[in-house]
Amino acid sequence: MSMRHDVMSSNERIYALLAGKPIDRVPLFPFIPGFCARNVGYPIATMYSDAEKSFDAQLKTMEQYGFDWGPLYGYASYGTWEFGGTVKMPAGEYEQAPAHVTFPVQSEADVSRLQLPDVKKAGCLPTAMAFSKLQERSGMPVSIICGGNFTIAGNICSVETLCRWMLKKPDLVHELLRLATDHIVDIVRYWVETFGAERVIPQMWEPSAANYIVSPKQFERFVLPYFQESSARILDMGVKHILYHICGEQNANLPYWAQIPMGDPGLASLGEEIDADTAVRYFGDTCIIIGNIDGKVILEGTPESLYRLCTDTISKLKHAPRGYMMCSGCEIPPNSPPYNVYLMRKAINDAGWYD
Amino acid sequence: MASDERIGEILKAIRDAVVGYDDEACERLCRSALEEGVDPNRAVMEGLTGGMGIVGELYNKQEYFVPELLLCADALNAGLSVLKPHLKVENASEKGKLLLGVVEGDIHDIGKNLVKIMFEAAGWDVYDLGNNVAIAKFAEEQQKVNADIVALSALMTTSMLAMPKIIESLKAQSPGVKVLVGGAPLSQEIARRYGADAYAPDAVAAVKEAANLLGNVM
Amino acid sequence: MRLKQDRMNSAERAKALFDYRKPDRVPISMIAPGFCCRNAGLPITVAYNDPQNNFYAMYWTAEQYGWDPIPQIVRHTVVETLDFGGDVRLPEGEYEGALVIKSFPVKSDSDVEALTMPDPGKTGMIGAALEYGRLQQAHGLPVTFVSRSPFTIASNICGLQQFCKWLIKKPELCERLMKVAIEHTFNVLQYWTDAFGAENIFVFMSSPSESNQVISPKQFEKFALPYHLIYHERLKTLGIKRFFFHVCGDQNANLPRLADASPWEHPSILSFGHEVNLEAAAQYFPKDIICGNIEPAVIQTGTAQQVYELAGANLESGKKIPGGFILSAGCELPIAAPACNVFAITKAVDDLGWY
Repeated sequence: MSMRHDVMSSNERIYALLAGKPIDRVPLFPFIPGFCARNVGYPIATMYSDAEKSFDAQLKTMEQYGFDWGPLYGYASYGTWEFGGTVKMPAGEYEQAPAHVTFPVQSEADVSRLQLPDVKKAGCLPTAMAFSKLQERSGMPVSIICGGNFTIAGNICSVETLCRWMLKKPDLVHELLRLATDHIVDIVRYWVETFGAERVIPQMWEPSAANYIVSPKQFERFVLPYFQESSARILDMGVKHILYHICGEQNANLPYWAQIPMGDPGLASLGEEIDADTAVRYFGDTCIIIGNIDGKVILEGTPESLYRLCTDTISKLKHAPRGYMMCSGCEIPPNSPPYNVYLMRKAINDAGWYD
Repeated sequence: MASDERIGEILKAIRDAVVGYDDEACERLCRSALEEGVDPNRAVMEGLTGGMGIVGELYNKQEYFVPELLLCADALNAGLSVLKPHLKVENASEKGKLLLGVVEGDIHDIGKNLVKIMFEAAGWDVYDLGNNVAIAKFAEEQQKVNADIVALSALMTTSMLAMPKIIESLKAQSPGVKVLVGGAPLSQEIARRYGADAYAPDAVAAVKEAANLLGNVM
Repeated sequence: MRLKQDRMNSAERAKALFDYRKPDRVPISMIAPGFCCRNAGLPITVAYNDPQNNFYAMYWTAEQYGWDPIPQIVRHTVVETLDFGGDVRLPEGEYEGALVIKSFPVKSDSDVEALTMPDPGKTGMIGAALEYGRLQQAHGLPVTFVSRSPFTIASNICGLQQFCKWLIKKPELCERLMKVAIEHTFNVLQYWTDAFGAENIFVFMSSPSESNQVISPKQFEKFALPYHLIYHERLKTLGIKRFFFHVCGDQNANLPRLADASPWEHPSILSFGHEVNLEAAAQYFPKDIICGNIEPAVIQTGTAQQVYELAGANLESGKKIPGGFILSAGCELPIAAPACNVFAITKAVDDLGWY
């Protein structure tokens, strides 16, 4: 009630930004499923198991805290269930997202037995489709989280096995990446057939390719070609924008990320590990930059330190050539103090207007 | 041995002593009852319990409030302390077994104490766990006591959040146990959502709800 | 942000109310020290032992939700169980929301006579309360003095169960306790007045032990009401004009007697639980500002829509109250209330609460 009144609605702001037109203020991009569950009083599992409740909880939370874009559905362990393994929904105080229980591939011989999932029926995809129909009805981007390729491969055989095979059995890794790539393209094709290419904005989350796990050379060999292929095939369908969440420490991978076509503009979501200047250098001309407020500060920081971080980040990225949306560097911890989450919007109110 | 008429007089006087929260009179009358050969079980049921029944009606009519209820209970207990050693075990009236406590995080126990009073007066065997009872304790004690009904009380919105966990653990352990809940922030709808079998807005209603629960079981 | 812009600040809104003028919109006031701590990511014990963090938690939460500190309601200045030599401990664990009484100062008849008057400058939590008051003053807020009614304080010295029995069996003990209670309250209030000035003090009183869920209206009239009369005579003598009375629980049967007496300065703020109909309250107290009364259990366990509707119903009745209206929960805002439900109250005011 004491914040400056928005001139544009969230949808107007997002579509103007995507079209390269002026907007009233920096948008606030949501990466908040667990926080939304807590905000509304649902178990976190609801965000992944019930499309209607998940959408509703996110919509209410987004309105309350001033987020833009729209509710999102997806999780990092995507692929395990879809390719024939099992996952469990989060439970208890400390679990935040669905987690693998059994992997589809437990031995080398399992790889050749894998088949491409039926995108209409496999795993969480029916729930994701129900969710996207709600996105469509609300006029916001239809945003399907479907990868990334390398992370899906790790979710099929476990990241540890994938790492071993990269050195010992690279052919198996390429087989898995082929399947993951084709599967991602299948998903997007199904979404495009359902909603139209101009509405669909796929998202690829790629935590397993972080430099905590793989070297930049391994990224170049195993990640880059497959991303380039899936991106090209998706853009060929008429999709205009792809969002890549470049998760974790990936500074050494950035030269390769910059070679992946993401649309016009693409959307590059970055973790706090990548500083603003670097972000603009690699992505400024081709992508809307999204990020990158450190989740640890949102969870544990004092309001003063968080506010300062947000306003500093806004000042550095507000005038990125293709645009900027403020977001946490990764999912906002579900137990983050609500006041801290509110502060993110307050920082935009104080420093994020384009006057 | 007293005549029927005399017995009737004594039992009425005991009831009046309970309703009049007169500890001394109640104790004295119960002694007289024993001396004059009145069946102690009759003195309990028709005298003391009968008196509390009237007290319950007065509470429902909002003529009696908490102070009166507490004192009536004191009078009843004064009389019961005289009669209890003389009660025949095989005739000991037992409507059912109740395990009772104020949930974890909450020390407000007047409501729970009133529930205990009303159930004991009605002839139930009551196991009172007290207040601020840890979540796990309810299931632990239920294992030992095997109560027909477990009653949970909470006054605070913070502590009522313990109820669903308690109910879940009780039902997992003994699917047949019935759970009754009450307390200021509770309601029929919340009780249902929490998985309870019944809700009572006050101590008097609680006894009726419990009887209904057992009646349904039977 | 989509919420409408305020045309007044909280101080202006308060002044309008006390002048019997309509503010820009219905103010929102909450008893919420515990909720505010959680909202700011702090343990609820901060409300008792950390005035600095407690102040900012309350200040920020009010900003976030558009609340008006009319007044800013903190934990008690008079903590009778502790002040008179009993023992309490801070809340622990997930389910405790307030101080836990370990032992009462009075355990027997003779203890009543033996009670000595505490030194107001050294009692209970007075140090923390004083520090908090200074923060309020430094921020231009009225300094709150928070205590319970003499009847309630008396019952907390010996325990409510014992007090109830004595009301009938030994009323002279209850009288003695209430005399001690009011004397101590005003010793501390004098101390407060010397520290902050009468014109800067906003007195808050609650009376949970007087609810008809405990005592009859006759017992209220005989025992509690006379002390309300004395209380306000003494308040006037001190020159304190601002009074907020939280008439806790179901006190419908007490209202006629309370209304006949109405011993406080007019207008004062009278806050009611969900058990009392707001329109009826307004008829009993036409010269006062009515505050309330969304059911706390619904805020905690209901849906956001249910809370919004309850708030809306309250606003519809409340806006017509000639003496003025403040929207609030019917008692302390539950610490575990989902933030979305609390925001639903703000939203209801934004949609329906403007004059």
